[in-house]
Amino acid sequence: MSARIAVPVFPGTNSEDETVRLLRDCGGDAELVHWSEPDALRQFDAYVLSGGFAYEDRIRAGAVAAHDRMMDLVIAAADAGKLVFGICNGAQILLEAGLVPGTGPARRPTAAFAKNAPSAHFICRHVHLRLALEPGRCAITAALPSGALIPAWAAHAEGRLAATPQRLEEIVSGGHVAFVYAHADGTVDSEAVPNGSALGCAGLVNRDGNVLAIMPHPERDAWNFNHLDLIEGDDVLAPSGGSAVFRSFVQALA
Amino acid sequence: MKRAVAISLKIPDNTAYTALVALRRLGVAVARVERSDVYFFEDGADRTALAARVAADEAIFNPNKHRLAVLDRGAPRRGEVWIEPLIASKGAPAAVAWRLLDEAGAPVERSVLAAAVERLLCNPAIDRAVTEGTR
Repeated sequence: MSARIAVPVFPGTNSEDETVRLLRDCGGDAELVHWSEPDALRQFDAYVLSGGFAYEDRIRAGAVAAHDRMMDLVIAAADAGKLVFGICNGAQILLEAGLVPGTGPARRPTAAFAKNAPSAHFICRHVHLRLALEPGRCAITAALPSGALIPAWAAHAEGRLAATPQRLEEIVSGGHVAFVYAHADGTVDSEAVPNGSALGCAGLVNRDGNVLAIMPHPERDAWNFNHLDLIEGDDVLAPSGGSAVFRSFVQALA
Repeated sequence: MKRAVAISLKIPDNTAYTALVALRRLGVAVARVERSDVYFFEDGADRTALAARVAADEAIFNPNKHRLAVLDRGAPRRGEVWIEPLIASKGAPAAVAWRLLDEAGAPVERSVLAAAVERLLCNPAIDRAVTEGTR
């Protein structure tokens, strides 16, 4: 029996359908679980928190969802070693829940994906993420090659990693930076960072390597039909680069 | 003269209500939550003129949904916390003021406010919480 993956849906989540579809395309047994049936989450082996605006981002992005009943169960599952993957708003929720970087008590955030800088405006930009960990450091990225380059779409107004200098030092020394922004050729510099994120960080992993939070959306560059420069004759349903993260996630559950 | 102006909703404030529900779920004993955006203005000597000028600023004030108050104080009241971003954004409020009231309509105790701040209202990675007497 294959591992079951839940995609929790909070009021305001909006990327759940493509997330489930991609997980299924990658061989995963995924389904949606709505906020009205939180106890259903107990039946699952892994969790993917997708993008959107849970609870309309009231108070702060991810802050209210982090205290939702569904997150009680996701936090317990993470503590038990189950895989939890958050994308965009899902990543913001994981930081607000204190699951990543996980250097403080549960539900006491030590970092945030805060308003973009220098402009606090929403950005929608194609980006590349470079794996900054040895793949084995994080179970979810374990099937990716070292230094893997993942295409994705950054679509957020609050994606800038922010923390106090002490907490940033903990993030670096604890090896919590999972992905950094890069150019298409894999080089890394400040020009590749679309939002002023500290450390050029696009994603964080917890200490145990079973919880991963990334801001850009790889599921929006997961099939050829996501590409504006699609050439006539291309297989529109063929997977593209962003699907690699999801394949790695599903493989980790095999 | 520097003066603070608070702009709040006169229509139902869904964010304040969500905060109320979330705080109760976290075990914080609060009966009502009020929220307002706080802006500081350097030229506040004439209160009436300041109020008129802010009321005419369509970027921050809509008379159909907002009310404004020119504050006598530059700091929170009892039962109130001002959440200030560590990095200010141009045009954004200097703080979000949260006022927590108990069943009798009185400001909550300092310990209740501290619990609300720690558990929900402030992320210390990006915000600072200012309460009565702490500025």
